[in-house]
Amino acid sequence: MNFLLKLSALIDRVNVRIGQAAAWLMLLAVLISAGNAFIRYGFSRSSNAWLEIQWYLFAAMVMLGAAYTLKMNEHVRVDAFYGRYSERTRLWVDLLGTLFFLLPMTVIIGWLGWPALAGAFASGETSGNAGGLVKWPALLMIPLGFLLLTLQGVSEVIKRAAALTGRTKIDAAYEKPLQ
Amino acid sequence: MITRELMAPLMFGGLIVFMLIGYPVAFSLGAVGLFFGLIGIELGFFTPALLQALPDRVFGIVSNDLLLSIPFFTFMGAILERCGLAEDLLEGTGQLFGPVRGGLAYAVILVGALLGAITGTVAASVIAMGLISLPVMMRYGYNMRLATGVIAASGTITQLIPPSLVLIVLADQLGKSVGDMYAGAIGPSLMQILLFCGFIFLVSILRPAHMPALPPEARTQRGWPLIRRVLWGMVPSLVLIFLVLGTILLGIATPTEGGAMGAVGALGLAALNRRLTLNLLWQSMDSTLRLTAMVIFILIGSTVFTLVFRGVDGDLWIENMLLGLPGGQMGFLIAVSLFVFFLAFFLDYFEIAFIVIPLLAPVADKLGIDLIWFGVVIGAVLQTSFMHPPFGFALFYLRGVAPKEVKSSDIYWGAVPWVGLQLLLVAIIILWPGIVTGFLDKPQAGGPAPVESVAPPDPGADTPPSQTDDAAEIEKLYKSR
Repeated sequence: MNFLLKLSALIDRVNVRIGQAAAWLMLLAVLISAGNAFIRYGFSRSSNAWLEIQWYLFAAMVMLGAAYTLKMNEHVRVDAFYGRYSERTRLWVDLLGTLFFLLPMTVIIGWLGWPALAGAFASGETSGNAGGLVKWPALLMIPLGFLLLTLQGVSEVIKRAAALTGRTKIDAAYEKPLQ
Repeated sequence: MITRELMAPLMFGGLIVFMLIGYPVAFSLGAVGLFFGLIGIELGFFTPALLQALPDRVFGIVSNDLLLSIPFFTFMGAILERCGLAEDLLEGTGQLFGPVRGGLAYAVILVGALLGAITGTVAASVIAMGLISLPVMMRYGYNMRLATGVIAASGTITQLIPPSLVLIVLADQLGKSVGDMYAGAIGPSLMQILLFCGFIFLVSILRPAHMPALPPEARTQRGWPLIRRVLWGMVPSLVLIFLVLGTILLGIATPTEGGAMGAVGALGLAALNRRLTLNLLWQSMDSTLRLTAMVIFILIGSTVFTLVFRGVDGDLWIENMLLGLPGGQMGFLIAVSLFVFFLAFFLDYFEIAFIVIPLLAPVADKLGIDLIWFGVVIGAVLQTSFMHPPFGFALFYLRGVAPKEVKSSDIYWGAVPWVGLQLLLVAIIILWPGIVTGFLDKPQAGGPAPVESVAPPDPGADTPPSQTDDAAEIEKLYKSR
């Protein structure tokens, strides 16, 4: 169990780092997008590569940030009942939910995402727009993001199981993300 | 034995049960979709090829240029709300309107609308008003329920007033332009502000004791310095918002460009106010990232659900049910409003927008309902989800910051008349579509702005909307069954 807890802590650290990097990608996307708009209106010029970078970054921030968001317990829930559960019930809901809801979804979609990535990587396919970017880095984000989510799911399962058996304590309190 | 006809209702029931358990919505939605997808494959209702479309769908979502404006607008709001704007505005306008009976309540409504346009988050407005205005209102003898009600209600104006995220999401789901959606929401949000102020005016006549004017000793500032303070707090951010909205409404900028320039402008404003610190920047980035990942993953989860739901002809099931309603357009809109109103007791607006709207929009279209009008009606109904006692978000935030002597029952009961006003607003929009479409005609008739002719094609057109144009693709998939 100690080994598992260490593994969980390692996964948490990695995903927090990646999530924070994704937040910087968001800032980068803002700057690039504003720069694109400025150049388009100021100089009536634009480049497909720079336009495509915008949503490459969007794909990266969403897919890489999702595991971090899960770690921070900020994926929104319907808390009509969840808000009234006891701490133990919450742990159970999270444990079983991760095992039967989250993990099947992340594994299946992540798995199904590989062939498209492999194909695009092998062929070096570009977006089809003149001067467009190669496609595989964007396609990579889907299996990668779901892989990170799967790992984070494993970490959450370990933490919940350890808390349920009394080995560790975790904060099962849930607050809805601010909107 | 499960027949094909039974799958759709079962799936819809499963959706409700799975979500009520309380596991994060994004993954519960995905789980329902996959669970019924596997059953469907097992029973031979469709082939495994259906599920292979999933990564493609996810890719369609994360390569959607329009959705990219969600983090941009969130980031802009996150920076502006951390600039102390709310505090300045509330204190200033409170002092300015103080001498009038109910002045603080008017101030809360107007600041709620301004902050709504500027920051776009209900939480920020409600928390600021709960911390600043509520104690003042209590000290000078405002009725408790009235005070909490007006604060919670004014916080929700955010959801309808452009550039609200809800409108972007609705535009995406309805396959309409965000600019038109914004234009359509202008009239109703002004009407909402009028209704709220009118209600306060009415109460100030019928129950003057509920909202006394501030005594002179409570007004520390007056005259020109006060006006200057209010203007200084308000004008720069308002100019920014009008620039952003204006360029989008005139069709000069795409929502994504507008959002990005607005975010850069917000950074500039924060620097001007000497509030741009690394800490502020990081907090804004961090919260923006998490909100974006959360919202987009709900969309991903609902895509899994919708794909399978359509695979078992769930869309036809819903359509037949709704087309059978008496009363044509009116009957449909009323039924849908009631349905969304009740869903909003349990679900948040993103969940409703992503799950319910794709199912309802084709039916609305078939009935000849203008989809912008439809979207604005839904947007107005969705606002109530923030005010419903006891789960409403706005009430929840207010409970969190309100002083101890405020009873929860006061907050709940205080919200009730405002939910009523909100329903009145929905009724007005349904009965008078002109309030939406009246603002729509001008930008459309104006044609493309001159800049467009030299600029390359609209980058927003590169990527199709996430949900709409996939009928052919789906058709192809289901043929194989």
